[in-house]
Amino acid sequence: MTKGARSAKAASQTVIATEGAGAQSSPPEEALAQLASEVVSEGDTLTNEASASPPGEAASASPSIRSGGAYAVRGPLPERLSEHDRLPLSGIRVIDVGNFLAGPYAASILGEFGAEVLKVEHPIGGDPMRRFGTPTTRHDATLAWLSEARNRKSVTIDLRQKEGVDLFLKLVAKSDILIENFRPGTMEEWGLGWPVLRAANPGLVMLRVSGYGQTGPYRRRSGFAHIAHAFGGLSYLAGFPGETPVLPGTAPLGDYIASLFGAIGVLIALRHKEKTGQGQVIDVAIYEAVFRVLDEIAPAYGLFGRIREREGSGSFIAVPHGHFRTRDDKWVAIACTTDKMFERLAEAMERPELASPELYGDQRKRLAARDTVNQITIEWVGSLTRDEVMRRCLEKEVPIGPLNSIADIFNDEHFQARGNLACVEAEGVGRVVVPNVVPTLSETPGRIANLGPPLGNATYEVLRELLNISAEEIKNLRSRKII
Amino acid sequence: MDGNNPPLPLAGIRVIDAATVIAAPFCATLLGEFGADVLKVEHPVGGDALHRFGTPTARGDTLTWLSESRNKRSVTLNLQHPEGAQIFKDLVAKADVLCENFRPGTLEKWGLGWDVLSQINPGLIMLRVTGYGQTGPYKDRPGFARIAHAVGGISYLAGMPKGTPVTPGSTTLGDYMTGLYGCIGVLLALRYREKTGCGQYIDAALYESVFRCSDELVPAYGMYKKVRERHGPHHNDFACPHGHFQTKDGKWVAISCATDKLFARLAKAMDRPELASSSIYGDQKIRLEHANDVNEIVRDWCSSLTRAEVLERCNATATPAAPLNDIADIFGDRQVHARRNLVAVDVEDLGETIVVPNVVPRLSETPGRIRHLGPRLGEHTDEVLKEVLGMSDEQIGELRAKRVI
Repeated sequence: MTKGARSAKAASQTVIATEGAGAQSSPPEEALAQLASEVVSEGDTLTNEASASPPGEAASASPSIRSGGAYAVRGPLPERLSEHDRLPLSGIRVIDVGNFLAGPYAASILGEFGAEVLKVEHPIGGDPMRRFGTPTTRHDATLAWLSEARNRKSVTIDLRQKEGVDLFLKLVAKSDILIENFRPGTMEEWGLGWPVLRAANPGLVMLRVSGYGQTGPYRRRSGFAHIAHAFGGLSYLAGFPGETPVLPGTAPLGDYIASLFGAIGVLIALRHKEKTGQGQVIDVAIYEAVFRVLDEIAPAYGLFGRIREREGSGSFIAVPHGHFRTRDDKWVAIACTTDKMFERLAEAMERPELASPELYGDQRKRLAARDTVNQITIEWVGSLTRDEVMRRCLEKEVPIGPLNSIADIFNDEHFQARGNLACVEAEGVGRVVVPNVVPTLSETPGRIANLGPPLGNATYEVLRELLNISAEEIKNLRSRKII
Repeated sequence: MDGNNPPLPLAGIRVIDAATVIAAPFCATLLGEFGADVLKVEHPVGGDALHRFGTPTARGDTLTWLSESRNKRSVTLNLQHPEGAQIFKDLVAKADVLCENFRPGTLEKWGLGWDVLSQINPGLIMLRVTGYGQTGPYKDRPGFARIAHAVGGISYLAGMPKGTPVTPGSTTLGDYMTGLYGCIGVLLALRYREKTGCGQYIDAALYESVFRCSDELVPAYGMYKKVRERHGPHHNDFACPHGHFQTKDGKWVAISCATDKLFARLAKAMDRPELASSSIYGDQKIRLEHANDVNEIVRDWCSSLTRAEVLERCNATATPAAPLNDIADIFGDRQVHARRNLVAVDVEDLGETIVVPNVVPRLSETPGRIRHLGPRLGEHTDEVLKEVLGMSDEQIGELRAKRVI
């Protein structure tokens, strides 16, 4: 990696400010001028590179993404070799033939870190995610699609036709990773089972995400995150004891979690392939991904027969550890995981005696007197505004946070400072604010090159340049609706 | 777990897990399952607080510790002691990955900041997990997953409309999600290091992991100022029915009809195929407009049958439906057994067999492994100091006398 490469990176993600949807700390013009000064021309070695070292300065390590004050705005990213060289997945080609999020989000992450992602879609309508969620001015894109189909090129191929399958296999032969989430058995019905794919590309890494996995008695059942949350044991736990179980926050949570596990599998398998030449299949069931993250629920049942029930806004681990309503009818979360934290809370309440060993200084005593301790906290929090509770708790370093709505998040200075909201130009729609890349890498930060592509925007390019198919033949395939 | 163990993809990678509780340690857990040698570096007194997090066992460590510290070797080291800090540097020099979650500035205070460690080992990959990240105005605030759920926007969405917001299923969710993101960061950085020799650090914030997984919450507010509220058991913004329904025997099922085709299957399962006609509720748009009516129909149907009957009928027409499983249901489920999602591991010095969740994700050629569960505090201190740093028994004895280890 050269300094020049870093500069190019900075320049290619040039930042300008905009009047985004949220509150602004500075007027747009001012922010624009301020951010424009960060623009670095290619070859210029004076960049923010040096600041990658001291941890306290991490924000400037990736100036474009983590710019403060306003949203980072990026147009389509020009292709530059230097840009590619400094991303960990440069040169890796991913085919994402999945629908919705479970699996495809893994492709999004790979794309953020430099992989070329080809979204292979049905020629008519494409990925149903294009129609899922809030519509935009573009008929082929909801907001959910624009945000989560980031960094892709769309290639239309009908896998239900023999010629489509042949075409797909040619593409597989030139790719490193294939991601799919059809119901188990579907790809096999199309003649695209693992033996066929492996014959086309022995080093292929294939991520298969499904509701119940590729094996077992339920494998053919259709599964969505909502179903997987229930089956995997998460939904049972959300809500008040004995009352209606509610959704665990967001509907597609399990899709994301399954994709995170999937991306880890892909990166591990890629490593194995590069050492040995051997490809493999990663089989992720959404319910398994959800079940895996439920701390000690399994061993506690296995050893003691203990069935965890819904815990409302609290937790079996510690008291007080929950959500509390403030005088102005807002909510805060307080988490006194340890005795020290409770001592701080008692100080914030100006009732240090509560943390004495005779009263509630010991977690075991607090757990035994759960209702009383919670009631004390409820009354104190309820007597103050959210700002006041936050101020007093933070002064004593009590772990506390507001229960943010999305409006709160847009107004929050920390979200702004961390650059968590990225404003990106979407073809035919205008500027769209989306969540920025997670995680943040100091030397090779991920990027959002473009939002969800128009259906089939790269079909010609990919067939012509990658597969060497003649313009005439492409036209022919198109007229027969194979692409 | 496996008879013939092929070399695992992360064999030869050494990870120092100097972190506590769940988020950053879970990253190390994942790396360990796929072959990395994970050294759990802990304070000689008490060690990682995870030893005490959750339900205690007769050995003193909790079940969470036993499960999530799988495959790790425990090494005690007092980083606040100058000799401890030096030994830590020596270990870092021989490691590939370091996972930590001290509050920003803590390692720096001990002379173990990124600038120092990356000098010692330019290829080092350092995962730094905190509640709010290494930068920004809140970076010094204490953060736990519960706080991160609140700040990241997920807690606001869990609960009955206008009712008390509840825990989104599990209090440690944000920790695990951050461990997953951290692991992705580490694997990406490893790959980059192998191409360039250049290490780096990953700055992971608990709240960011939760926030990232919020589908279109962000663009919908950005464009239309739409503020999503708590939905209770049903989320009918985009699909209906999509929620939880109680059955005759007081149990619950989840049903989700994301498309018209799936609703047609449900209508068939209910023996009321006419509901899916275009003139009634065949169209998602119409169902969304009449979500209460549609939910009422499904609720009535579910409450007229036992859970087993509802699921049997839904499965017969391939309607997406599942029981809201408690952990006892999960232990009794044949899919869970067929997938070997539960694995029983003997813990010799406890004299018990502990059932823990098996490795996820499942790789066909190089499946991950659980070699042993969480070690006792300091169980491997001598072994590691000898093996990795070539120390003698005398040196180790002296360090122990001085409470450095």
